Amino acid sequence: MNVEMLLLVALAGVTALSTLGVLLTKDNFYAAMYMTLTLVMVATIYAFFSIEPVFVLIVFVFIGAIGIVTVAIAATYRHGPERQFSVFWAIPIVVTAAVLCYSIYTYVLDVPVYTALMTFTTHYSLKYSIENFITTEYLLLLLFMTSLAVLLMLSVVNIYRSEN
Amino acid sequence: MPALDFMTVSIIYITAIVILLVGYLTAVSSKDIVRLLIALELMFGAVFMSLIPLFSVLPDPAFGVALLTIFASGGELLVLSAAIVIHDRRKKSILTSSVSIGGDNV
Repeated sequence: MNVEMLLLVALAGVTALSTLGVLLTKDNFYAAMYMTLTLVMVATIYAFFSIEPVFVLIVFVFIGAIGIVTVAIAATYRHGPERQFSVFWAIPIVVTAAVLCYSIYTYVLDVPVYTALMTFTTHYSLKYSIENFITTEYLLLLLFMTSLAVLLMLSVVNIYRSEN
Repeated sequence: MPALDFMTVSIIYITAIVILLVGYLTAVSSKDIVRLLIALELMFGAVFMSLIPLFSVLPDPAFGVALLTIFASGGELLVLSAAIVIHDRRKKSILTSSVSIGGDNV
């Protein structure tokens, strides 16, 4: 494994561990913090592949707005929930993970070392440029999504007012 | 754009599956609506994760899907936060067990 692959594995591992933190913690506030850490790690993996526009979108919009509001709500309503499912559900999950790991392991063993090394040194940089995205079709898509978001906001405000 | 190799794609998809499964488990084990909101955000994180390989073959549609995901997540947050406030005002609780209509026991 080259350094880039090890770095990707490390980032994916930290992402998976922080995700497990959401499930294992009983405090909503810490669960929201672990969720934010997971999203930051997902954004970091985007940065790893040099997809900067999506990295900025995730960090500033998804985490900066949506994630922080979730953390604020979780801090307001702190509650330690009880588990509703049996721990035996972990058994099929572990079996599935083992099968996936074994299939990847056998793939790596089957490929000759030189080929594997050459495969691992592929370019990790995806270098996405946003200029190609700004076309009429995608701008129309953005316009529709913005209109739907405004409609949704008005509906929610209407429901909230009718409750009052 | 260069295509990603099998190992890289495997790592990305396995991580996405792990995030999605933990999101599902958190959703089914949640006893309050806030935990449900956190689980849904995690599922959106899994969607973002699974979009990375698409950027190597279809970058512009992938960026469109990423934008759509952010809009959908924003809408979901808006609706659920309103639901949390209204539910708390009506029932004086945010526990899902206090919802008397619909649903099923897991």
